[in-house]
Amino acid sequence: MSENGHEGRRDELAAYLLGALEAGEAAELERHLAGCEECRTELEWLRPAVQLLPESVPRVEAPPKLRGRLMEQVRSEAGSAAAPRRTRSRSARYWSLRPLAGLAALVLVIAAVAAYAIDSGDSGGSNTTTVVAGQSPGVVAEVVRQGGSGTLHLANLHQLPRDEVLQAWVEKEGRVVTAKTLFVPNQDGTASTTIDDLEGVNTVMVTAEPRGGSVQPTSPPIVSVAMPQ
Amino acid sequence: MSRAERLADEELMPLIGEKDPDAFEVFYDRHGGVAYSLAYRIVGERGAAEDVTQEAFISIWRSGARYDAARGSVRTWMLGIVRNRAIDALRSKSGKAPKLDFDDDSILEHRPAVEQTESEALQRETAKEVRGVLEELPGEQAKVIQLAYFGGFSHSEIAGMLGVPLGTVKGRMRLGLEKIRGELAEGLT
Repeated sequence: MSENGHEGRRDELAAYLLGALEAGEAAELERHLAGCEECRTELEWLRPAVQLLPESVPRVEAPPKLRGRLMEQVRSEAGSAAAPRRTRSRSARYWSLRPLAGLAALVLVIAAVAAYAIDSGDSGGSNTTTVVAGQSPGVVAEVVRQGGSGTLHLANLHQLPRDEVLQAWVEKEGRVVTAKTLFVPNQDGTASTTIDDLEGVNTVMVTAEPRGGSVQPTSPPIVSVAMPQ
Repeated sequence: MSRAERLADEELMPLIGEKDPDAFEVFYDRHGGVAYSLAYRIVGERGAAEDVTQEAFISIWRSGARYDAARGSVRTWMLGIVRNRAIDALRSKSGKAPKLDFDDDSILEHRPAVEQTESEALQRETAKEVRGVLEELPGEQAKVIQLAYFGGFSHSEIAGMLGVPLGTVKGRMRLGLEKIRGELAEGLT
């Protein structure tokens, strides 16, 4: 097999991903990759292995002064006067929940639950639909729909590990997409989050995800609420 | 939780691009720990690790708008920036010319959505599990991977250090990464 073929390049893929090729070698490999689908496929298959390497390092606590120094510089660059006012305004406008203190490492009850509508209509002149899903003694979910949006309420949740959050998802036209909000259980095992767009949504789901959320669900749903159409 | 705390990383980045310090603070609180740990693992000194971490996060603060969600997770992007800065600091200290540039855009290549999803799932593996896989690697494979990734050495430098042929170094790198990838991909398909 020629050294210029993909067989001759296979060993270089790992070195390339590890940043261990010299600049000229890397450029040469990149030219090969542009025309070799087999090598590109192998490169992408290997890539997550390198991306996981930094996750393997022993955790060392960052000094608090680093955070202080960094935020001082950031707020200074953002505008020393405008930034705090804008922050308070936004926070007050959107959310009023207190940060959860002492979030302990516990485990969520995983329960896929069936949903049923208990109230629907416009009683009192409001356009509200309440959907309750429950599977005692598991998690209970309630979606209160108001027009095109709604609020998801959960109960009987156990606390999450510190490095996980809850993430809401909606299934619409066969596709599962994030509702773009992350939340954690309150200390009493309840949690709520807003679903901005429920139009055409068939199912509302919640999964446990790493802090920062995920692009797609990476764990089974804790709850799955079928929405009446 | 504040509004920013409720947002996924990918949703925070546009806010950081708009110079929202609250969004940046949440971002740092989520990832500052692992970033500092990585920097410390590479440079080996707390003061230097602080400098590297601060430089990396300021770089993100100033260029947050450059993050492209289609190119991978924010965390992977951020750790790539930290790694590059730390290796550069290491090489500068040892008198070597920086081997890596600061083209943060080059850290993540475009990948199809299905591969991003798989990477997200892989990230859920705990650090302990990743370390476990590394510990199970034959010593010679783990060594070349660590020298390259955490030491910033080129394959030819490693070959010289270990007194083995260049092809042997590259082969050990490949075998080691294949094993890591294979072990951590179990259960995903």
